[in-house]
Amino acid sequence: MKTQLPEQGPLEIPRFWRTLEERIETPEAQRAAQDEFLPGAVPAYDDVHGLPPQDGFSRRDFFGLVGAAAALAATVACDRKGQGTIVPYTKRPVEVVPGVANFYASSYQEGRRVYPVLVKTREGRPIHIMGNDEHPGVKGKTSPRAMADVLRLYDPDRLRAPLSEGRTLGWTEAESQLRSALVNAKGAGRPVLLLSGALVSPTRKALLADLKKALPTLEHLAIEPASGDAAEVAAQASYGQAVTLQPRLAKADLILSLGADFLNGEDPEALAAWGAKRRLKSAQESLNRLWVFEGPMTLTGTNADVRVPVAPSRLGAVAFALAKDLASKGLGLPANVDLSSVSAGVPAELKDSAKLWSNLVQDLRRAGRKAVVLCGTQMPAEVQQAAHLLNAMLGSEAVTIQAAEPLASVKDLEAASKAMAEGRYATVIFWDVNPAYTYPKAAAWKAAVAKVPFRVWIGQVPDETGAQCQLLLPENHWLESWGDFTTPGADVLQQPTIGTLYDTRQGEDVLLEAVKVLGGQAATSYHAYLQERWQRSLPAANSFEQALHDGVVKTVSKEVLPAFKGASVAAAAKRAAASKAEGLELVLFPGFATFDGRHANNSWLQETPDPITKMTWDNPVSVSVQDAQALGIQEGDLVQVSLDGTTLTLPAVIQPGQAKGVLALALGYGRTTGGVAKGIGANAFPLTGLDPASANVRQGVRLAKTGGKKELSRTQSHHRMEGRDIVRSLTPSEYAEHPQGHHHAPEPASLYDEQLFPGHKWGMVIDLAACTGCSACVVACQSENNVAVVGPEQVARGREMHWIRIDRYYEGELENPKVVHQPMLCQHCDSAPCENVCPVNATNHSPDGLNQMAYNRCVGTRYCANNCPYKVRRFNFLEYTAYKTEPGILVNNPEVTVRPRGVMEKCSFCVQRINDVKIRAKGEGRAILDGEITTACMAGCPADAIVFGDLNNPKSKVFQQVANRRAYRVLEELGVKPAITYLADLKNPAIEGGHHAS
Amino acid sequence: MADTNRKPRLDRLGSLLVAPFLLGRQALSLEWVHTQDSPPEPQAKAPARLTVTPPEHAIKRRG
Amino acid sequence: MQAEAAIPAGAIPDGLIEPALTIGRVTPGSLDDQVLSFPETRPPKQWYLALAITLTAALIGVGCIGYTFYLGIGAWGNTSPVFWAFDIINFVFWVGIGHAGTLISAILFLFRKRWRNAIARFAEAMTIFAVICAVIFPLIHVGRPWLAYWLFPYPNQRALWTNFRSPLLWDVFAVNTYFSVSAMFWYLGLIPDIASMRDRTTSKFRKVIYTVLAMGWRGAATHWQHYEKAYLLLAGLATGLVLSVHSVVSFDFATSVVPGWHMTIFPPYFVAGAIFAGFSMVVIVLVVVRETMQLKNLITMRHLDVMNKVILALSCIMGYSYMMEGFTAWYSMNEYLHHSFMNIISGTYGWAGWLTISCNILIPQILWFKKARSSYFWMIFVAIGVTIGMWFERFVIIVISLHQDYLPSAWRIYKPTMVDFGVLLGTFGIFFTLVLLFARVLPVIATTEVKAILPDAQPSHHGDDHHA
Repeated sequence: MKTQLPEQGPLEIPRFWRTLEERIETPEAQRAAQDEFLPGAVPAYDDVHGLPPQDGFSRRDFFGLVGAAAALAATVACDRKGQGTIVPYTKRPVEVVPGVANFYASSYQEGRRVYPVLVKTREGRPIHIMGNDEHPGVKGKTSPRAMADVLRLYDPDRLRAPLSEGRTLGWTEAESQLRSALVNAKGAGRPVLLLSGALVSPTRKALLADLKKALPTLEHLAIEPASGDAAEVAAQASYGQAVTLQPRLAKADLILSLGADFLNGEDPEALAAWGAKRRLKSAQESLNRLWVFEGPMTLTGTNADVRVPVAPSRLGAVAFALAKDLASKGLGLPANVDLSSVSAGVPAELKDSAKLWSNLVQDLRRAGRKAVVLCGTQMPAEVQQAAHLLNAMLGSEAVTIQAAEPLASVKDLEAASKAMAEGRYATVIFWDVNPAYTYPKAAAWKAAVAKVPFRVWIGQVPDETGAQCQLLLPENHWLESWGDFTTPGADVLQQPTIGTLYDTRQGEDVLLEAVKVLGGQAATSYHAYLQERWQRSLPAANSFEQALHDGVVKTVSKEVLPAFKGASVAAAAKRAAASKAEGLELVLFPGFATFDGRHANNSWLQETPDPITKMTWDNPVSVSVQDAQALGIQEGDLVQVSLDGTTLTLPAVIQPGQAKGVLALALGYGRTTGGVAKGIGANAFPLTGLDPASANVRQGVRLAKTGGKKELSRTQSHHRMEGRDIVRSLTPSEYAEHPQGHHHAPEPASLYDEQLFPGHKWGMVIDLAACTGCSACVVACQSENNVAVVGPEQVARGREMHWIRIDRYYEGELENPKVVHQPMLCQHCDSAPCENVCPVNATNHSPDGLNQMAYNRCVGTRYCANNCPYKVRRFNFLEYTAYKTEPGILVNNPEVTVRPRGVMEKCSFCVQRINDVKIRAKGEGRAILDGEITTACMAGCPADAIVFGDLNNPKSKVFQQVANRRAYRVLEELGVKPAITYLADLKNPAIEGGHHAS
Repeated sequence: MADTNRKPRLDRLGSLLVAPFLLGRQALSLEWVHTQDSPPEPQAKAPARLTVTPPEHAIKRRG
Repeated sequence: MQAEAAIPAGAIPDGLIEPALTIGRVTPGSLDDQVLSFPETRPPKQWYLALAITLTAALIGVGCIGYTFYLGIGAWGNTSPVFWAFDIINFVFWVGIGHAGTLISAILFLFRKRWRNAIARFAEAMTIFAVICAVIFPLIHVGRPWLAYWLFPYPNQRALWTNFRSPLLWDVFAVNTYFSVSAMFWYLGLIPDIASMRDRTTSKFRKVIYTVLAMGWRGAATHWQHYEKAYLLLAGLATGLVLSVHSVVSFDFATSVVPGWHMTIFPPYFVAGAIFAGFSMVVIVLVVVRETMQLKNLITMRHLDVMNKVILALSCIMGYSYMMEGFTAWYSMNEYLHHSFMNIISGTYGWAGWLTISCNILIPQILWFKKARSSYFWMIFVAIGVTIGMWFERFVIIVISLHQDYLPSAWRIYKPTMVDFGVLLGTFGIFFTLVLLFARVLPVIATTEVKAILPDAQPSHHGDDHHA
């Protein structure tokens, strides 16, 4: 129906009316007609002035406000504290592509050792450190402490600006203070003392020479408290100069260790060579043999083929007896060697195992130049001299001796301390050293330092020494610094991988500035100084840029081998013979985690279990089984260790295999500064001696129980295998005859169809013969996968979060057990017991064989962890990671989710790395190459004990290794079908049938 | 370690419970107690976000 | 045959005559007066005192649970490898306590065990309360309790589904079903009694409440007809549940690979253990109720005697189960299982193993003596012993098995924290608070069912029910 509209004229609007008043058009009614609502329905709300209505609230207002309040409340409640904003770069730095990692070659110095490294950065932040693959020695490997040092860059305790008497200053003022002190000292002709770490850098050496030129009164002491003064003393005696000894184990068929711990992860080159020698592909290959004579149990001792516990004080006598025996068997002695004070025959320590002794002599004779004798730098000087002698006698090819810059010993420090106390120095500069902590008589040292009018400290985290200084200069972390180092076989460069985070400078720049103000001439910055030097010395074909790119400048060594001085032997032999093992003797060694205390503020390292005791966050004193029995000491008992008027109270652990009468204690704990380090463990430096020839082996120690107990924050509390087939260990003949190890597990039957892996099938092989237990994989994994640190209390409760752990088992008699190590991580079982018990499917299997965790889906029933036979799942019992602030969060790998409280986590086979390679290969339209994917643990393993790859690819290394006759799977009989295959450990005992000396 | 980090969660819970009440009270200007206290002093500002800059003059290997 | 012949036809041998289930003359009227008057009177001082104690305990528990929510599961002693401890021990313990009620009300009903009528109501109520205590644990023990609802398979836009292969999911269904059926069964039985109370009460307030709860029950013949049918059906349903729930709970353990958990005997063994623990708890509560509420004429020593006999029988079944565990460990020649069993009797927690064996097997043997079965002291002693023993049995199963499983490197001693004890105490507080409240507001004895077993209930020309 259509409405007929009028053709023209105004529209006739029909008039309706609502009320009678409107109809008769009263004024009120007319006004009301304009209103939308009738009077009274709506209050006259004054919108213009925002005044509330006069007669209270209307329902509409009430609802409106309540609604708004609820909405606002919801918005407020949804606020997430600590969430950041994502802002794109307004001006993107050329080098940084978001989401793409950059790798820089650099290097890191620790003591005399230098680690050429490759640093992975993301969005400009260094997040992971691995070895430099261009370096001929380390070949892409590095030490656990070097890897963990990336965390120190983000240490919140770092000093961020110069500090003078508690007042923050600018660099200009700080430098003027330093300038006036130095200029005054120079003017007055008063000496200035500079203490620094070991000098391994040629350019730093040149800089110090320049400084010495500009400031003739400069005295420099290079101190390395953990490097072992005895090694310096011995080197001076044997070679007349300071040397570094680099074992070349690739050339050694026989290694005799006299308390040398060369497999402890510090020396990636030695570990690589060791691994290469032990990773036998078949029983036909020959195995090297490691003899270890040592007091404490070291990681090297755990890997020994024959281990003989001998107190360090008697090691010298044993070693000289060996030399004499070898000489009597026809091995030529170097010139001027006098062994007349050494009694012939089997030494008293080995009276009960004469057969073993003759085997050792025979072994050494047979191996000849392919034998090497290594001595621990902590051992008394005469033991080291005996090792030098033995190597000279054997003509060993397996050790290179290189001249080194000398280090100051405790004697030199004692002299310096006296001189300071006498007011000799005008100024003292501490550069990256902490003698107030490391010097044995700290109180005397501090009193002496206080006598120096002007004290300057250059370093990163204010420490015990800094507490005494007037001027604290914040230093760059090495990842922000320039430098260069000499290593055997190549020179390496250090370049920054990040711009300085704070207002810091590197120490060299401070000294360069000092050179300038003192009238010397120098480059504008240490970078320029370094570049200038290198451009002069680099071969024409090699640009400085190329050198930085590689991080390595290969040098042709024109080393003149220092000759062995035979005349030094007589005195050493006499001293060795006179050294008696009386009472308890204490061996002080650098902490695995802390070294000389410089790493004590690094929580990753503090939580990395000690490879032997499996202790974290503490340095207990290790007591031998016999002594513990005699003194009635239980594990965790608080004991007092006293020597020379110094008494330490610390917990004891009982160490199987430790020689009777020997105590072992790690240095580097008991710091009094640093948010992490403070109060962790006890400081053992006061127990070190002032005799450099035997500073780290002390006799006449008293041990007493206090009656107290301490809960040990230990990651492993049961140390025997209980006869279970977990770690298989074979001798070469067993390998040849019984290829299947102890048992042969039948193929388990299953009711279910097997899962098929049509494409890739990721798997891993771990060669236990190559694994030394050095724990580099643990640190590498921690850094790669943002593994949380939980602290000592939580570790004591068994809640550590490491995705990979090293299980260490003792077998045989307690006094000298056989030790095996086994890296244990998620086995990515094809028939995983964890997967079917998760009620929410948070853990499941990928088509390429990964057992994967969906953290977001996990509600935390923990059933999966109960049902995991390997107990490799880790649960976030508390909020271990969230709410961390800068700078701590900057170290996180952005490719790995940070896990919140209440969530289960575990090894992912570094799925982020797998996918990275997958994506790249797909983009390039090619297949994934074997070995292209490396998990962090594999990349970090210096012994190459871990191999990862595609089990579906018959050409892959992992496929081939699975076919090795040493291959077995842990708990295979459960039918869980683990994707990790272990290759049985190999021990090469000298006496067939027995792994160890009895 | 973790228990010292717990505060934000408590804050959040608190705000969830109290916010509707406070907001509603203010919106209706029906304050029962008039608090004339000066606003609490602003807390010491956490250091501004660190500026991460790429290194100068360094030569990257790859990436 | 000869003996039978000696008895005159029509006479029932003395031994077969069921003794009276009540003492003294009980009429329907006196029964109502006795039982239904409780909610109408003010509770005695002792009741308030008891309530104060149980409420305090419950509040401590709630506080500890709140603390756990605030801090995380780390507030408890759970650790690697003992990822489950008090949380699941308590869960299994309380689910087990609940079993007696269902057994008494459902299975004994189907078997026409007339003595159950007087105690069924209380036992059922205890079932409900125990299951309430039990379901707390699956909710609070997860790492992220605010996501616990993910255990239910509900359609969601993320297309995420639960894993039906997981025994934990079976648990969710088993416990939910159990709780809802038990609650329905209990409530159904309550309806006629509530209607009686509605009709008796003079308080307006109570009248309203009871009227609503009685759901219009008028006692019509059709009501009774439907009621009886529904009751029978629910009894049948619940019967299956008595066996299924604890079987499913035992699957959490039995289907896993943990040595000491992976046992085929677990389902029947768990069911027997649950009824065992439940009966003991019922005995404890009944003795108290009988004494404090003057119900000696309805809950007679005969009831307690029968209950104690059941406990004794179950104790023997438990003993057999423990022996079979040992036998399995030995016969399997499985070193892990063997080690796990040896841990029960000689490990770090060997004391817990021996406590379990003593409390569950040795102590109840005293009930072979009639004197012990009719002595408050001995029956309470046994019942408390069994309650402790059954709690520790779950401790043995869960903690001892977990703390040393396959790889010795991962072994670790478990230590509970105060929060663990607080939560355990809290559940006892919640349980007894609910029991106390129940005793005052609802009829503790199913009067309608007891009326059915009164001597006058069945039509008989002899005036008693022997020939009925």
